[in-house]
Amino acid sequence: MRHTLETMGTVASIELPEGWSSELGAIAAIFEEIEQRFSLYRPDSELSRIACGELALAGASIELLASYSRALEWRSTTSGFFSPHRPDGVIDLNGIVKAEAIERAGAHLQAVGCPSWSVNVGGDILVSPTGEAQLVGIADPVDSSALLCSITLSGSRLALATSGSAQRGDHIWRGGSTELTHFVQVSVAAADIVTADVLATAIVAGGPEALDDVTGRWDVDVITVDRSGALRASPGLLRSLVTNAAA
Amino acid sequence: MRTRAILGSILASASVLIVGYQAGTAVTTSNGSSISLPIGGTTAGSSGSGSSTSAAAPAATGPSDGTYTGASVNTRFGAVQVQVTIAGGSISKLDALHLTNADGRSVQISNYAAPILRSEVLNSQSTRVSNVGGATYTTQAYLTSVQSALDQAGA
Repeated sequence: MRHTLETMGTVASIELPEGWSSELGAIAAIFEEIEQRFSLYRPDSELSRIACGELALAGASIELLASYSRALEWRSTTSGFFSPHRPDGVIDLNGIVKAEAIERAGAHLQAVGCPSWSVNVGGDILVSPTGEAQLVGIADPVDSSALLCSITLSGSRLALATSGSAQRGDHIWRGGSTELTHFVQVSVAAADIVTADVLATAIVAGGPEALDDVTGRWDVDVITVDRSGALRASPGLLRSLVTNAAA
Repeated sequence: MRTRAILGSILASASVLIVGYQAGTAVTTSNGSSISLPIGGTTAGSSGSGSSTSAAAPAATGPSDGTYTGASVNTRFGAVQVQVTIAGGSISKLDALHLTNADGRSVQISNYAAPILRSEVLNSQSTRVSNVGGATYTTQAYLTSVQSALDQAGA
């Protein structure tokens, strides 16, 4: 059974088995709590109050500090390609909180024993470790109504995150640089959604150099689309491609 | 064409690493033949078309069947070594492709994201999927997305 709800400026699509719709409320509550804490579009959110100087970082909640700390760790491990700081110095955890929201929703569904599910928030997808492998498509950045390819999510590839400039303009900060990004779309499949999301963002921000670094150091699969429309894919991603013959 | 594309992808993978770390390297194989790698600043990443066939050009003269173990090439990050098995004029297997980084950790560069042609992913496109990944769409963009259609179909 498919459910949709608007959250975090986008739409969440949640697939639950028959009889599990009652969990939707808990998931909506998780998303609402996260939005209320981290949204910079809500002037009364905790993060907005920190941004405007009303609240000191030292006085922030454990939850906010935990996300900030996690984002800073990712900044270190990605050599700064991923960063929780806006060029104007404001802490913006947008790059990680949506993935954390998906992660928490998934953890909730596993904790209550939901046998098979998928959570898709704004094009970032996490599927259940239990149940059958799930087929997911990746949108074509040139035409959002078409697919670039379809892959299988299962095992050590339960999460698929996509970053790019196709849908929201060049929203990824690149050290204050105004140059166009090399890649217009980067999709990363990983075991968990935060890793997938952060690394997809890092590759868009860091270009080919970051792509090589990421595929060399992390157990992930990647497919990228550059400005000319040319594709690059890791061998694992090609192996996970769904073929019509197999479907 | 397919062979050239694969050969190109693999050689491009190796060449980008080698060119990236030590410009101007040719790999001489253990049996005396050599595998040419594009050098002189030409990397697969800089070919605007993204077509891997251009990178394949030096090697497209028809390699003999057999297993070719590339010489260990020292780069400032450590040793790179490639073993390629060629059968029927095309690469059938690629082994022991590794790089040791400055920390002495072996890095599996077999996970390198190589250029591919759209035709290589084409036949996966129309497979029935229930979810679509894409760069974050706003609620407005969602309405025109494939996901929106899928959600309506699955409701």
